[in-house]
Amino acid sequence: MERAVYVCEDEAELAQAIVGELAGRYPVVVSETGAEAVAAARAGRALLIVMDRKLKGADGLALVQLLRAAGDRTPVLMMSAMGAVDDRVAGLRAGGDDYLAKPFAMAEFSARIDAMARRVVDAPATQFVLGSLSIDLVARKAQRAGRAIDLQQREFQLLEYFMRRPGLLVTRQMLLEQVWRYRFPANSNVVDVHIRNLRLKLEKPGEKRLIVTLRGEGFRFDADS
Amino acid sequence: MRIADFTRSTPLRLAAAFALAIFVLTGAVFATVYVAVTDAWVEQLTRVFADEAEKAAAADDQRLRRSLELRLTRDFRRLNYVALYDSSGALVFGNFDVRPEIPADGAARYIADFRIGPNAPAEPTLVVARQRPDGSVIVLGRGLDEVATLRRILARALSFAILPLAAAALALGFVFARRTRRRIGAINSAIAAVRGGDLGARLPTPSGIDELDGVVGSVNLMLDEIERLLGQLASVGDNIAHDLRAPIVNVRAGLEQALARAPRDAALRQPVQNALRQLDRAMTAISALLRLSAIEYEHRHSAFRDIDLAALCAELHEFFAPLAQAKGVALTLAAPAPLIRRGDADLMREALSNLIDNALKFTPRGGRVAVEAGEAAGLAHIVVSDNGRGVPAAEAHDIFRRFIRAKTSEAIPGAGLGLNIAESIARMHGMALAVSDNAPGARFVLAERR
Repeated sequence: MERAVYVCEDEAELAQAIVGELAGRYPVVVSETGAEAVAAARAGRALLIVMDRKLKGADGLALVQLLRAAGDRTPVLMMSAMGAVDDRVAGLRAGGDDYLAKPFAMAEFSARIDAMARRVVDAPATQFVLGSLSIDLVARKAQRAGRAIDLQQREFQLLEYFMRRPGLLVTRQMLLEQVWRYRFPANSNVVDVHIRNLRLKLEKPGEKRLIVTLRGEGFRFDADS
Repeated sequence: MRIADFTRSTPLRLAAAFALAIFVLTGAVFATVYVAVTDAWVEQLTRVFADEAEKAAAADDQRLRRSLELRLTRDFRRLNYVALYDSSGALVFGNFDVRPEIPADGAARYIADFRIGPNAPAEPTLVVARQRPDGSVIVLGRGLDEVATLRRILARALSFAILPLAAAALALGFVFARRTRRRIGAINSAIAAVRGGDLGARLPTPSGIDELDGVVGSVNLMLDEIERLLGQLASVGDNIAHDLRAPIVNVRAGLEQALARAPRDAALRQPVQNALRQLDRAMTAISALLRLSAIEYEHRHSAFRDIDLAALCAELHEFFAPLAQAKGVALTLAAPAPLIRRGDADLMREALSNLIDNALKFTPRGGRVAVEAGEAAGLAHIVVSDNGRGVPAAEAHDIFRRFIRAKTSEAIPGAGLGLNIAESIARMHGMALAVSDNAPGARFVLAERR
């Protein structure tokens, strides 16, 4: 039996929307109190868990802590509408793998789920080769079709982030949070300009675009194999 | 406190006036004593003297000479000068030879510069002349050196007493002026703290000035009430924002789902997309509002550690540089030395990001935005200045209030809370955020408070 995404969310409408969003891509189970999700994870039936911080009769944070204490590594996406400054920190510290503040756009949510479900290339590889592009993480060097690409440190980090997620939607918010490590809603236009500069370095005229913009959603790295 | 400030202080001026009044009044008393004593003395002498001249005029020559000689030799302290002129005006006997120019009517007269000879020194003298029955004139004189001496003694006593008295009055006034000034200063700085946004600050009690204690107490009660009301207002706002979030989240999710299922050419696509955009705007505003409250009321200093403000400036400069370049705005950085302070790096980044983002928003192509971090007298400051359209002076105060944006900025999107958030973060770090005219443009200074 295929493992399912467990959605622990007690707001029926939001839970419904999430199910609709993920339907067809993942089996989805809604768990209002979170108990089923924890049980499924312990039994190895959960692909990943979406956990609201505040559930009816349960504390999402405590559930994740419980799971982690038992040695379970099922990926958890924490959600919260609390709005406190350190909600994100608290969510990640309790054992969440990612954190999303409500309200969020479904595209954002989807991108996070995909990144977690597909098990982003986390391995401590020293080299990535995708099509004509290759980067060496140790020497911090990049090449495209044999041509050396001179990247600044942040540009290199951006490129590495994309190459670990080929074919996946990467949102501006993900880049701000995970490349710049900004924990506040920074101006996302800035991300676009950084991406544009990176593209200029990656693409010679006539070469295929590697980082494409998905209107209203974010970016995606498409290798030119 | 500067000297100029101090001399402008009302209590000090009152003290000086008080000292001056003491000086004048005491001086008047002394002058009265001085005049009364010496005048009485001279007047008494004058009467005695006139009497003596009358007796002398009545006596016969023989007795007159004997008594006068006796007086001159034995009683020299009282009668210094004696002369007898015959009817033709020649000196018969005596110890001075120039007859003073006074009528021989037996009335004592004061001559300020009496001389016994043409070359003798002048001295103030009381002189009386009286005609005798035989036509001769007797002249008696008495030096008034004692009076002069008495006056000198009095004057010295006066100056010795009055100057220390005035000085003491002035010093006392000075001390009271300082005390009053210090206490009023304490009240004033407490008011400044409240004005600066620290609604928890209270005026010091007791103020040390009894008359002020009542006022101070009332002001403190008023501040309690204002704080309570504002707290209520803020929590009402937060609750509304909180309650709005859930339905917006749900509506948004529903609309998105509907949009995803709708056929490519459905007529509803455009309105739904517009609705989503408007919902996003509402969510941005609500999130910013809640975030502002969270920063203001959580006051979590536990996350404070040593952070380098200069490095944060450099980091955000790097973050915004491509955007500035794309906009055709020169973004410069001057943060030469590390600036280590206790703080929350994430929040400080947010504050700086808001300031730089704001400056870039309001600076047109070809403009300039400068980020500087430095230290003056041990106090750190970060300055973000631009030469854009600036902040009208009338709005400079309002700019940090919730949802207020410069009127000239209506065409530029943003929930208008970025500066509020920056200001709250600054306050949390013991810093103040102020805006001033950069002529042209705006100059935001984030500075540590003394």
